[in-house]
Amino acid sequence: MPVPAVKARPPMQLVIGGGVALVAAIFVLYPIFYLLQAAFAVGDPNVRPPEAYGLDNFARLPDYWEIMLNTLSVAFAATLMALVFGFLTAWILTRTNVPFRKTLEQMMAVPYYVTPLLGALAWSLLGAPESGFINQVWRAMGGTGALIDVTGAVGIAWVMALFEGSVAFVMISAVMRSMDPSLEEASQVIGAGRFRTMMKVTLPLVAPGVLGAAIYVFAEMLGSFTAALVLGTPSRFYVITTAIYQLVSQYPPRMPLAAAMGVSLFAVMFIMLFLYRRVVAGRSYVTVGGKAFRPRAMDVGAFRWVLFGICFLYVFLSVILPFATLIYASVQRLAVAFPAADNFTLEHYRTAFSLNAIRSAMGNSLVLGFFTATLGVAVTGLIAWLIQRSRLPGRGVLEYIVMFPQAVPRLVFAFGMMWAWLVFPIPIYGTIWLLLIAYVTVFLPLGVRTITGVLVQLDKSLEECGEMCGASWGYRLRTITMPLLRPGLLAAWLLIFIASVRELGASILLMGPNSKVITPAIVEAFFSSSSELTAAMALIQTVVIGLAILVLVPLIKRASQHGSSSA
Amino acid sequence: MTKGISRFNLSRRGILQAGAATLALPAILRSTAAQAAPVTKVLDFETSADIAKAEAEGEVLFYTHDSDPAGAALMEAFTKDFPKIKGSYLRAQTGALFSKLLAERSAGRYVCDVVQFSDIATALDLQKRGGYELYDSPEKVKYDARFLSTPPGYFFQAGVTFCGIAYNTDRVSEAEAPKTWKDLLDPKWRNAMSCKQATSGTQFVQWYELKRLYGDEFWKEFAKQRPRGFDSRAQLFDRLAKGDDKICAMAEWAGYELVRARGAKVKFVAPPDGLPATVTAAGIVSKPAHPEAAKLFIDWLMTRGQVIYQENKFFLYPSLSKNPPPMPGGMKLSDFKVLYPQDVAAFAASHATFVKEWNGMMGL
Repeated sequence: MPVPAVKARPPMQLVIGGGVALVAAIFVLYPIFYLLQAAFAVGDPNVRPPEAYGLDNFARLPDYWEIMLNTLSVAFAATLMALVFGFLTAWILTRTNVPFRKTLEQMMAVPYYVTPLLGALAWSLLGAPESGFINQVWRAMGGTGALIDVTGAVGIAWVMALFEGSVAFVMISAVMRSMDPSLEEASQVIGAGRFRTMMKVTLPLVAPGVLGAAIYVFAEMLGSFTAALVLGTPSRFYVITTAIYQLVSQYPPRMPLAAAMGVSLFAVMFIMLFLYRRVVAGRSYVTVGGKAFRPRAMDVGAFRWVLFGICFLYVFLSVILPFATLIYASVQRLAVAFPAADNFTLEHYRTAFSLNAIRSAMGNSLVLGFFTATLGVAVTGLIAWLIQRSRLPGRGVLEYIVMFPQAVPRLVFAFGMMWAWLVFPIPIYGTIWLLLIAYVTVFLPLGVRTITGVLVQLDKSLEECGEMCGASWGYRLRTITMPLLRPGLLAAWLLIFIASVRELGASILLMGPNSKVITPAIVEAFFSSSSELTAAMALIQTVVIGLAILVLVPLIKRASQHGSSSA
Repeated sequence: MTKGISRFNLSRRGILQAGAATLALPAILRSTAAQAAPVTKVLDFETSADIAKAEAEGEVLFYTHDSDPAGAALMEAFTKDFPKIKGSYLRAQTGALFSKLLAERSAGRYVCDVVQFSDIATALDLQKRGGYELYDSPEKVKYDARFLSTPPGYFFQAGVTFCGIAYNTDRVSEAEAPKTWKDLLDPKWRNAMSCKQATSGTQFVQWYELKRLYGDEFWKEFAKQRPRGFDSRAQLFDRLAKGDDKICAMAEWAGYELVRARGAKVKFVAPPDGLPATVTAAGIVSKPAHPEAAKLFIDWLMTRGQVIYQENKFFLYPSLSKNPPPMPGGMKLSDFKVLYPQDVAAFAASHATFVKEWNGMMGL
């Protein structure tokens, strides 16, 4: 008979856990208050606090039904594609003996390293109906019209799934890595085929992770901006973020209407989260128990080359082709498929490296990424544990609260943060500290979802054993839970680091003159210079992030191993 | 009560005049104080700023609608001239910049020194809200009065951008290319034209001026062409140069110059009825964090900064100062028939109508 998770709450657990939960709740709810205030504001939109309150902004939303419908349909299609890609490739790379597994695995994560603008820009250069390289080659071969057209709903969903959806692969593979292969082996021993085993054993066991990823990815797609901006605008196809961008950039800025649009997305997200909790509640997804296991790859025979082909195709479409396109475009004065010799230039790289502001912005981004990821993993790991394992009062509500930042487009949430931290008595507004707070806040859902997916796979009895042996809460966390959670914690660290370095929506409004970060500068180049300079800058950012990851990940791994062994 | 007033022989007009004078008093006093400040010659311009104090303040923060590389280039040039003053900038689109500035001020945070907007309507709104500091620059004599705020000293028109029509020469022959604004209404350009979104100050002035010239019908017919709206001139010309659009219906000269230098096959057309032009407006915000550095920066921007505005590829704004040198490419602003809104108040008042109509036209 299992022992209840926590019989009596030790004071340390309450103080530390409750304290972290409270701080996280304040970080989220404080800006939300200002956002709600703006959404219900009527009168002069630039007077703060608002002159009066009413439902006028919400009453105007039906005028934008087409944009809402566009948003939901694109987000749904992109999420579906991302989950299919993510699940399939995660299964292939973590559960089978596919050749070149390590290389493919590293390549698979690349789309997530890059700013989403890069993917959109690359596919725009490839698939614009007139100037797209593929269409130029097509016409040169005697074809007429456009072979492909990525401007519009399908193109946006495709690019979003390939690039922003790659997070699904990282989240799902973290869950699959923690799975005991004996369950799949048992299925095959009793005669089930590989596909049947995948569908009947693997999929149900990783369901919380997949559902968690689905919620996160769907929310990410709802808030996605750059793909819709680059590929949607030419065909007059707007989604909620591009509409909000126009509303807040125009003079006079229509912030209250934008806030009402953003707030209305809460409803969508909470329905998703409610469904997730309903599906997950009352079922066990434990795959890591007291018995030791070594993750083993399934031998799929010659079929492994087919699986390799699937992974390679994904890598080709999301990494090789876009990067080759951007490199090709970045060394041309004006990017075309068949350039003359005098069209080649390194001028865009010279310009990118000559911009002092951009050099310091890159440094700020890396420093912020490191601290956001480190702090974020500690905070979100604790929150995930509190939600799943503690009996802290209000832990269910906490799960909803930490999802708030994901439920509303970042551009709108940033206004809430700006208003909130402007009036905060400690002068952090305009400093790098505000960006750190903002990043930790907006990436709470990412960390919590990633770590929760792995946490629910750990058998509670492991911690209970420790408790029965007299180990304190902190000791159990350090010596049992954290080492077992290591794949999830590392995945969360990496995800938060990358997400921070490529963050756009919150940074645009919250950075100060001495705390500039890189992604807004790249998007800025797209608006103010050329696709070619933007491509050069985005490639430089990708190389720098890649190098930072190469250096940082082994260090973090070593630090976490050292931490747990010394404990 | 009325009787009491009449005892002092006060007419209604007299009361209104006295009220207006009282309201204007702080501004007049500030103006007098500003005029009283000694004028110093520094480098090749004059300033009423106390340079020692400005250097002691050590910093000036400029809020601008211009791009990051543009902001960096400008502030680096200022710091090069005044090494003891660190020139910093923050950029955002005019609407977001306006929101940010007002939010900061309503929270009692005065961090910005000088602000520049991409259109005059925003500057007039900020002036109405008391958002500018009055500074009577000695360099105002280098500008025609119409390029200064009313009264002078709140802001000045720091640069101008004007637009015509441009076309891709690979996709449109010179013979069939539009020559006048009305040629844009030819059905053959349906789904083949680009213009800007309602965020653009230049788009606003084009809408206003062509409506004044041709009436409401012009834009109703234009809407039927299903133009594509973009946020920046770089995007417009990038697409035009690559042939994604055949025609750019709001082609800024500065954008044209940029792609022409990159060897793009595009051509600029100056319709004979004139080229709508919009101005940027720069001024010191009220309660600046670094008041003397802000004054020095404004004087510098009115003189030496104009060279950067006119020649740096991230700006290419022709200067509105008297007798500016030719623009890159050798043309002068006076070579073009430029259309400025004559009634600035009516122009600013029409902004809400523009935004509504234009958003509708762009499918928003």
